[in-house]
Amino acid sequence: MNIRCAKPEDLMHMQHCNLLCLPENYQMKYYLYHGLSWPQLSYVAEDELGQIVGYVLAKMEEESEEDPHGHITSLAVRRSHRRLGLAQKLMDQTARAMVECFNAKYVSLHVRKSNRAALNLYTNTLKFTISEIEPKYYADGEDAFAMKRDLCSFALQNDVIPAEPITFFDNRKNDEKDK
Amino acid sequence: MDPKKQLLPPKENSLFKRILKSYEQKQYRNGLKFAKQILASFPEHGETLAMKGLILNCLGRKEEAYNFVRQGLRNNLRSHVCWHVFGLLQRSDKKYDEAIKCYRNALKWDKDNLQILRDLSLLQIQMRDLDGYKETRYRLFELRPTQRASWIGYAMSFHLLQDYDTALKILEEFRKTVQKTNYDYEYSELLLYQNLVIRESKHMEEALKHLNTYESNICDKVTLQELRGELLMALGRTEDASEVYRGLIKRNPENRDYYIKLEGSLGLTTVDERLKLYEELKEKFPRAQVPKRLPLNYARGEALESLLDPYLRAALQKGVPPLFTDIQVLYTEPDRVQSIESLMDKYLTNLEETGHLCDTDNEYKEPASILFVLMFMAQHHSFLGKTETALSLIERALEHTPTLIELYIIKGKILKHAGDYVGAYEALQEAQALDTADRYVNSKAASYLLKANLVRQAEEMCSKFTREGVSAMENLNEMQCMWFQTECAKAYYRLGQYGESLRKCHEVDRHFTEIIEDQFDFHTYCMRKMTLRSYVELLRLEDILRSNRFYWDAAQTAITIYLRLYDHPLTSNTKENDINTGEC
Repeated sequence: MNIRCAKPEDLMHMQHCNLLCLPENYQMKYYLYHGLSWPQLSYVAEDELGQIVGYVLAKMEEESEEDPHGHITSLAVRRSHRRLGLAQKLMDQTARAMVECFNAKYVSLHVRKSNRAALNLYTNTLKFTISEIEPKYYADGEDAFAMKRDLCSFALQNDVIPAEPITFFDNRKNDEKDK
Repeated sequence: MDPKKQLLPPKENSLFKRILKSYEQKQYRNGLKFAKQILASFPEHGETLAMKGLILNCLGRKEEAYNFVRQGLRNNLRSHVCWHVFGLLQRSDKKYDEAIKCYRNALKWDKDNLQILRDLSLLQIQMRDLDGYKETRYRLFELRPTQRASWIGYAMSFHLLQDYDTALKILEEFRKTVQKTNYDYEYSELLLYQNLVIRESKHMEEALKHLNTYESNICDKVTLQELRGELLMALGRTEDASEVYRGLIKRNPENRDYYIKLEGSLGLTTVDERLKLYEELKEKFPRAQVPKRLPLNYARGEALESLLDPYLRAALQKGVPPLFTDIQVLYTEPDRVQSIESLMDKYLTNLEETGHLCDTDNEYKEPASILFVLMFMAQHHSFLGKTETALSLIERALEHTPTLIELYIIKGKILKHAGDYVGAYEALQEAQALDTADRYVNSKAASYLLKANLVRQAEEMCSKFTREGVSAMENLNEMQCMWFQTECAKAYYRLGQYGESLRKCHEVDRHFTEIIEDQFDFHTYCMRKMTLRSYVELLRLEDILRSNRFYWDAAQTAITIYLRLYDHPLTSNTKENDINTGEC
C-alpha cells in the first residue's frame, strides 16, 4: 500500500474509483478543478500493482465569511481494500495539509444518514461531530448529516504547525461571534 | 466596398455600442432589436451584420450566424470587430486553427487590442503553438507591465520553450515585486514554481539554495521536503537526504516511496542491510503497514518465511480480506509461492486440530480466522489455475459464513478466471442481493454481466445507481463512466453488433476530446490562483492523455471492427443479421 498526495495524472484514476464505489459522481472537470485549485489537499491510496484503490478529494471553502475551513468533496475506498484503515490514513494526511497550507480551523463533510459504516468512521475514528441535518441533500431524496472535525485539537495532538499560527490558535474571533 | 458606408452617424453608432453591451450581458433579444434598427438604414454595415451573426450563434441558429458574419466581414475586411467575431464563431465550433487566423487578422487592424490578444494567447496555448504564445504574451507584457498575469504568462512562455534562463530572469524580477514576509499561499506557490524551473534547468545546487532561502515562505511542507530530499540526493549529500526521508516517513509512514528513497540515501545494497533497516522502522512505526510489507519483496528463503509468518497471522487474525491481493505480487517466484502455501496449510491444520492459528501461541484464537484462511487459499489456488480446489475451499468458507459478501465476489472471480462467465455473474448477483446499497458490488456484478455478453441486464444492474429519469446508458455516458463503456463495446463486438460497439467506442473517444477541452478555462484560472506547478503538470498530462488504458481499450476494439468491416464489408443480408442479433 502507498499513500501519497494526488497529482493531476491521478485524477482520472480517482474518477474511475469514484464511479466504481459511490453513487455521487462528477465529470472530470470537477476533479481538475480540485487538483488545480488546492494541489496539496487530495490524497490517493495505491495498491502493490500501482492501482488507485482509494482517494480523498478535498477543497477549501472559499465563499464563506467564517474561519478558513476545508471540505471533503468525496472519499472512497474500494470494497476489495477495506479494513486496512486507508480512509483514516487518507483523511489525516488531508487534514494536516489543510492546516499547514491553508490555516484551516476545521473540515466539514456530508454523509448519508443511512451510511452507518461511514458515520462510524467519521464519529469514532476521526472525531467528526454532527453539526446539522440537511434534508433531502442527495439526488435520491435521502437526508445528509453535515459534520465537522476540529482541526485545532488535531494540530495540537499531532504537532502540526499551521500556516499562520497567530490567527490559527486565536479564538477571539469565535468568542466575539458568540456574543 | 465603399468605406464610407461603414462609418455610422452618432445615433446609429450609439445603437451599435448597445449591441455590444447586450451581447456581453447575454440580452440577445435586445441586441437583435438594435441591430435591426441600424440595418434598416445601413443594411451594408459590416460590424452590425457580424454582431447580429454572433448573437444568432448564441441562440443556436448557427447556419444563419455564419451567413451574417461572413457577409459582415466581406463588407468590411478592415474591421477588427468583424475578424474578432469570425474568430469567436470558429472558436465556438472548436475550429481553433481557423480562429487563430481570424484573431491574427483582427490584430492587423487593431494591434493593441487587449481582449483579442488575450483570446489569441488562450488558443495558442491550447493548441501548443508555443512560439506564437510567446509572441502574444510579449505583446501583453509590453501593453500591461503592471499586471501580474502579464509577468507570469510571459515567463511561462519561455519555460515551456525550455528557455529556462529567460524564464528565471522574468520570474525573479516578478518575485521581487510581490515579496512577502508573512503567510501567503500564492507566494508559496510562486516560489515552488520558480524552483521547478530552476530544477528543470538542471541547476541543482541553485535549486537547493533557493529552497533553503525561502523555506519559511513555503507552506507546502510535503513538497518542500520531498524536493529537498531529491536535490540532496542529486548533489550526493546522502546523509542529509536520509535525515529528510526519515522526517517524511514520520509524517506519512504509509508512503512507500519515502522508504525506498531512504534505502537509496543510506546506500543499502544487500538484502540483510535492508531487512535490518525495516526491523528498526517497524519498531518506530508500529501502526504502519509499509515497513512490514516492503521487506517481503526483498527477503527469500528462511528470511522470507520468518517475516511472512507474523505478517500473515496478524492479517488472518484481524480478518483483512485484501490479504491475497496484497501479496499477490510475490507469486512471480515458485519458491515464494511454496513458502506461502506451506504456511497457510499449517495454519489450516492447526485451526482444525487445536482451534489456534499457531500451535505455540494461544493468543491467536479468533474464531473467524479459519474463514480468512479458507478465503485466502481459494484465491491462491485459483491464481495457480487449480479451479476445483479453489471452488471447494470457497464453498467451505461459504458454509462457515454464508453472509460474507466478499466470499461471493471471490467465488465469482474464481469462475471468471476459469472462463465460466455465467457462473461468475450468478455469484456476483448473489453478492449484490446481500448488499444492495453498495455500488462497488453492483459495479462488479454489472462488469461480470458484460463479460457474459448480457448487455441489457448489465445496464439494468447499473440503473440501480444512476440518476432517475434518464436511461442508465445515458447517465453513465454523461458521468464519463469509461470502464462500463469499454466493457460494453467489447460485449457488443463479441455479439457481432458492430454498430453498437462502435457507438460505445466513440463515446469513450469523445470523453477524451472533452477532457482536452476542459483545459481551456484553466489557462486563465491557474494564473490567477498561482497554482502554476500543477498547471504545467496538467499541460503535460493533456499532451499524452490518450495513453490512458480506457482509450487504448476503446481504440483497439474500434480498430478491430473497422478492419473487419474493411475485409468483410456488410452485405444487405449481414446488415439484417446485425440488427436482429438480439441480446441473449
